[in-house]
Amino acid sequence: MVVGDASPAGLPAAGHAVSGSRPSGFIRRNAAGYLFLAPWLIGFFGLTLGPALASFYLSFTDFDLLTSPKFIGAVNYVRMVTADTKFDAAIRVTFVYVALSVPLKLAFALAIAVALNRGLRGLTVYRAVFYLPSLLGASVAIAVLWRQLFASDGMVNAVLSLFGIDGPSWISNPHYSLYTLVALSVWQFGSPMIIFLAGLRQIPSDMYEAASLDGASPLRQFVRITLPLLSPVVFFNFVIQTIEAFKAFTPAFIISGGSGGPIDSTLFYTLYLYQEAFGYFRMGYASALAWVLVVIIALFTAFAFLTTRYWVHYDD
Amino acid sequence: MTEAAHHDMPGRTGSHPYLRSGLLHALLMAASFVMLYPILWMLAGSLRPASELFGGDAGLIPSQVTLKAYADGWFGLQVNFGRFFLNSLAISVLATLGNVFAASLVAFAFARLTFFGRRFWFALMLGTLMLPYHVTLIPQYVLFLKLGWVNTWLPLIVPKYFAVDAFFIFLMVQFFRGIPRELDEAARMDGCSAWRIYRKVILPLSMPVLATAAIFSFIWTWEDFFGPLIYISNMKMYTVQLGLRSFVDSSGTSSWNELFAMSILSLVPIFLIFLFFQRLLIEGIATTGLKR
Amino acid sequence: MSNFVMDRRRFLGAGTGALCLPLLGAGKAFAADATIRMVWWGGDERARRTNEAVKAFMAANPGITVEPESMGWDDYWARLATQVAGGNAPDFIQMDYRYMFEYARRGAIRPLDEYLGKELKIEDFGKVNLASCSVDGKLYGGNVGVNSFGTIYDPAAWEAAGVEAPALGISWEEFAEKCAAFAKGNSKPKFHASADGSGSESLFEGWLRSHGKALYTDEGELAYTADDAAEWFRYWADIRASGGCVAPDIQALYKNTIETAPLSTGHAATDFAYSNQFVGFQKLNEATLAITGEPVKTGGQPGQYLKPSQMFSISANSEYPAETAMLINFLIRDPAGALILGVERGVPASPEVRDLLIPQLDEPSRKAVEYIASLTPYVGPLPPAPPQGAGEMNAVLIRISQEVGFEAATPEQGGAKLVDEAANVLKRG
Repeated sequence: MVVGDASPAGLPAAGHAVSGSRPSGFIRRNAAGYLFLAPWLIGFFGLTLGPALASFYLSFTDFDLLTSPKFIGAVNYVRMVTADTKFDAAIRVTFVYVALSVPLKLAFALAIAVALNRGLRGLTVYRAVFYLPSLLGASVAIAVLWRQLFASDGMVNAVLSLFGIDGPSWISNPHYSLYTLVALSVWQFGSPMIIFLAGLRQIPSDMYEAASLDGASPLRQFVRITLPLLSPVVFFNFVIQTIEAFKAFTPAFIISGGSGGPIDSTLFYTLYLYQEAFGYFRMGYASALAWVLVVIIALFTAFAFLTTRYWVHYDD
Repeated sequence: MTEAAHHDMPGRTGSHPYLRSGLLHALLMAASFVMLYPILWMLAGSLRPASELFGGDAGLIPSQVTLKAYADGWFGLQVNFGRFFLNSLAISVLATLGNVFAASLVAFAFARLTFFGRRFWFALMLGTLMLPYHVTLIPQYVLFLKLGWVNTWLPLIVPKYFAVDAFFIFLMVQFFRGIPRELDEAARMDGCSAWRIYRKVILPLSMPVLATAAIFSFIWTWEDFFGPLIYISNMKMYTVQLGLRSFVDSSGTSSWNELFAMSILSLVPIFLIFLFFQRLLIEGIATTGLKR
Repeated sequence: MSNFVMDRRRFLGAGTGALCLPLLGAGKAFAADATIRMVWWGGDERARRTNEAVKAFMAANPGITVEPESMGWDDYWARLATQVAGGNAPDFIQMDYRYMFEYARRGAIRPLDEYLGKELKIEDFGKVNLASCSVDGKLYGGNVGVNSFGTIYDPAAWEAAGVEAPALGISWEEFAEKCAAFAKGNSKPKFHASADGSGSESLFEGWLRSHGKALYTDEGELAYTADDAAEWFRYWADIRASGGCVAPDIQALYKNTIETAPLSTGHAATDFAYSNQFVGFQKLNEATLAITGEPVKTGGQPGQYLKPSQMFSISANSEYPAETAMLINFLIRDPAGALILGVERGVPASPEVRDLLIPQLDEPSRKAVEYIASLTPYVGPLPPAPPQGAGEMNAVLIRISQEVGFEAATPEQGGAKLVDEAANVLKRG
């Protein structure tokens, strides 16, 4: 396993591929690949590309949903960058949310996965318990539950008052409201945790046995064996969670009642997009917002892929 | 079968093994209570009268317990809530089958085969993850309208068979790459085609990720709300999520007790699915005997 | 693991069979003269009533089939807009006052004047109630219920604080004084006389109108100045300072739903809402509530007006507009249907239906009906049609009122900001 071979594009390096040596060339060599790829190709060209291109076109129009779109050129994009203060707020809120929720969520997910992987008694129960919150994903009940916890007379303040602290209404105070949403995201760490568990399960136990025979401490084993072998999975979780955090919508929608408030403190980017599209009949502008988000996410993802050569170890 | 036999990280041979594991248990149990508190509160809410829900002292213990919310929730809507459960089950199962199968095919292509333009397609595939669905919503709706699929379940199920969910492709790619290439090469030298390698080598060794993908696909399809909202009009075809949402009307009175009651009930099937597939996750390793 | 793959294939076979079921059963009636798709928003109580009324309609009109759908307010507009954009709008559309202007001006719903007197026998609603559902002089909706903004309060809580509760005709100054007195006489912790009304556009409108101003002019421009807005924010800042209303973070919990209102969360004895929400408030509150008018300006103009709680409209592309009009009439004017709907959507605009209903009402519903009756002599004319961007202004007001409440801006700065942003929003449309 040579680290240097890890391709920056995140795919196996071409030199390692086992390709046929028949002389009939191009078609033969690529047939297998394209046959396996076929379902995705059909889905992409048939179901995804069309709507995506349509939405790109819409971003250059004034489209109020009820009448036909009218082409207006780059007006939407110009406005976004020059005259839209809500856009700035949405960017700020979303970036803070991503920066806080993703590392915390992954840290909890990894820690608990490692703890659960040790073969504890009651492992099944714990694993199920920690996953349960993720099952409540888009539930409208979440709004009520979260208010129950973080409102001025909620559970969190009840606990704090035991220590003599008189807490604010976390969920409706513009300084803290975003953090309650971060907490909601972290509370649902069950999904990446399950993926970490599956990844941990793929690491053969004889590696650990050999290492402890050599006298390595658990911490050393974690750093030298677990992390490197788990790195493709860590990378996956990191990329996926970041993309999803950028696109997060439902928590903010449900908890702020669609307002993004108080004072735009929970105005997630896609919530702002939704307001523009369906609240104010400006689907053209919303489409422009969406494509800007795509560019932002793509830049982040590309950057992440570029860093893989330094820390992600693939076995091929 | 004791799970302790698998991947037991050494550490139990340290000093005070019982104290350490006792401490760990205590921490985990405390963490579990914190994790579960909102759900416990929801359970309490499903059992208490409506006027007690939002006032000052709505703690974990209801003052009076009543099962009225469960009865009202189940029978109170136009359509029996059990129907929604069946609908969600059907849609989730069908979608999951397609998702897992199709994604594994495509992931195999990206992870194990070479072909012209592979990096380009991979990047595009990842790109499909980045577009928020609200803006492709209307063009997609028009597309399905032209196909005549609106007010059916087809828009929710058929796309899965074409691997539109890039998440699962990406997930499987990462896992497939963890399987040693020597096995592939050995199979090729035996004259196996790509399809046989896929079936005989990769799939069997991928039980953990396939089980994981199945869990997620099922649960996410079960939880999906926006798709059904847009494409299903007939209440008899509603999914559980649509049924739950019909209890809530922010412009007027919402039936919170019924919502909580039915939400608790709707956690049960997905929880059971999760428990079932968990075992596949574990047992998958036992039967593949991955050894170097 | 060839077994695994094999099982999948068997499943797929069975699955395709199951797939066909919803395709076949997708509910299109055969041999019907007309099929109407009907959509409304509301909770399950409203759904129960409406479905029952629809059944009665179909029984009385055998040639017409109605396919009803309903969902909550939050999801309604996104779904409706998607369907309209796709050219697949339902025939019968429940409409809201603000959205009605948007939909009517863009030609998504059709004028109903041609059905007046024929399928729609609603002349007895009176000019005001018909005008309130009109845009640019054309009728676009059947008035489902008459509504007005008001003050909802808990009489027992006011008594416990030793202050006389607000009543019809109270002035703005008196209201502020009462709230301050309440703060002094109150012994319940974290409990105040009133919710913070500075972010309520309806209340702001009432205040403006009682002072002879309005939200918008006939031409669609702003009808108040930065000084007016500053005065409004200053009014509430003073009440806040005297402890007469809830703290800003309590008020910020309010998400325009009944259960998040400070009255329902047990933080205030008084709140401001539309009269057709009164029943909902009573359901969530143990204490017996009462409803009365907004404060007024002594010697000023009438601040309130009668508004339609919602209306029933017909899609512009409907294939069966006449039949849909019949359905609308059945639900709002024909006792056979209107009595089933009750006052759940608002007080019926037809005097005849109202009189028939009153004996059947429960206590909270009766209070709502009596409130409208007692308010009617004191209401003013309908305001001008809201311009495009009015919906966004609602959100802007809430946000700025929060900024003032959290002391991120002074009332004067808030007033200036409001007017500045209004200029941008209204220009943009």
